[in-house]
Amino acid sequence: MSTDKEHIIKSYDSELGRLTGEIVRMGELSVTQLEAAIDVMDRRDERAAQRVVGNDEAIDQMEQEISHDVVRLLALRAPMAGDLRNIFAALRIAADIERIGDYAANVAKRSIPLSMLAPVGPSGGLAYLAELAAESVREVLFAYRDRDAERAYKVWKGDVVLDEAYTGYFRQLLTYMMEDPRNITPCTHLLFMAKNIERIGDHATNIAENVWFQVTGEPLDKQRRKGDLTSSPEMTKLGDKPE
Amino acid sequence: MNDLADAAAAPVAGVEGRATKIKVRDVNFYYNRFHAIKGISMDVPEKQVTAIIGPSGCGKSTLLRMFNRIYAIYPKLEATGEIVLDGENILDPGYSMNRLRSKVGMVFQKPVPFPMTIFENVAYGIRHHEKLSKADMAIRVEQALRSAALWDEVKDKLKQNALGLSGGQQQRLCIARAIALKPEVLLLDEPTSALDPIATSRIEQLVAELKSEYTIVIVTHNMQQAARCSDLTAFMYLGELIESDQTEKIFTKPGKKQTEDYITGRFG
Repeated sequence: MSTDKEHIIKSYDSELGRLTGEIVRMGELSVTQLEAAIDVMDRRDERAAQRVVGNDEAIDQMEQEISHDVVRLLALRAPMAGDLRNIFAALRIAADIERIGDYAANVAKRSIPLSMLAPVGPSGGLAYLAELAAESVREVLFAYRDRDAERAYKVWKGDVVLDEAYTGYFRQLLTYMMEDPRNITPCTHLLFMAKNIERIGDHATNIAENVWFQVTGEPLDKQRRKGDLTSSPEMTKLGDKPE
Repeated sequence: MNDLADAAAAPVAGVEGRATKIKVRDVNFYYNRFHAIKGISMDVPEKQVTAIIGPSGCGKSTLLRMFNRIYAIYPKLEATGEIVLDGENILDPGYSMNRLRSKVGMVFQKPVPFPMTIFENVAYGIRHHEKLSKADMAIRVEQALRSAALWDEVKDKLKQNALGLSGGQQQRLCIARAIALKPEVLLLDEPTSALDPIATSRIEQLVAELKSEYTIVIVTHNMQQAARCSDLTAFMYLGELIESDQTEKIFTKPGKKQTEDYITGRFG
């Protein structure tokens, strides 16, 4: 149950509106960071990569501001029902965006050693994964801004595409590594970068779940087909923890 | 199939797994020609706290007052429907007022102690219903004052005038007076609206303790209070029951838009 009426106390509306705006801005910044990370990798620009890594601090700062605003709203407004769910979701979404920012910074960080090695064939595939992830994050931010549970659900369902693309890319990198041991170092970097991007997609689905909860008051059903098969027994196991 | 038929026949909310103490069925109330309560049905669970919330004039106090027929002392007021307490309709003129008053106690917004000693305030009502020896009466008064969490504060001044107590103490004295008659149902009409936050917390703690023995119905303007101390919350608007459900659900995910707008402080 949601409502479009304004609060009797008008400043409450402006504070809630500001919170939504902060989340959307923070989310846009995280997508920009991801795109910049891919760009600096393509251009093999070490200095630009350092700048992308440094920019992550701004996202961390925004998360702290959002946490502060949430605590303040909880203490001073004693929110109920839909307002309570909005504020609760904002806190969780901000944490997911902060992680997305970390993963984007990790991609940029790994592009530095990668740029010092000879170019390898499959590096172009990473841009496709990043495109899918960026699209998911953008879509889920629109869904959040418009309180559109259906749009969030589509993002949630669509993550399987990114998972499958990641699995395909994983196989491709393995092939390259088996062909020539000199490919192992750059391909391992690419593998970690790909995993970071795949995790960004997972955070986009977390955000989608929170948007769904915020709008409907119900948890989103967890019965989702898992598309990432790289951790299945027939695939070689490689580290998949975020750095 | 039967379940479906039952659900359709009884569109009332309650707390699952709890016996129903008061069954309200299609109740209407009129102040002269003004239709104040419009066809309300709900279940009040036994030994639980039921809160009634809603804006001023929505009929919440009127509904509460129907539970002990206090309106009957004024002329030209009319109630229809059924309020079934332990299987008997208390709106039936044949239901003895004396019996009803001993089963259903009530505490009002402003504490109104009688202008007599603290002891006599509690003993007065008991004398009206029972003949007790002096020693038994002293025990009963002490029990009531202990239950109302007031004993330790007044045990050395039972002979003093009750009007010398603080507002919060006076309200707990009124609760002691009500429970001294060993009622089964306790009605609280805005019991803390005249009290400071500390006295309010004491009353809320008392409500939490009393619910193990009594069925409590509380009318409050303070939604935080309803959220803090009730198990079931009923939202009323313009004489109608909009929604009645478990308190947790009402305050996190109400089923009706009107409820959501009211509890989140939006234009009604």
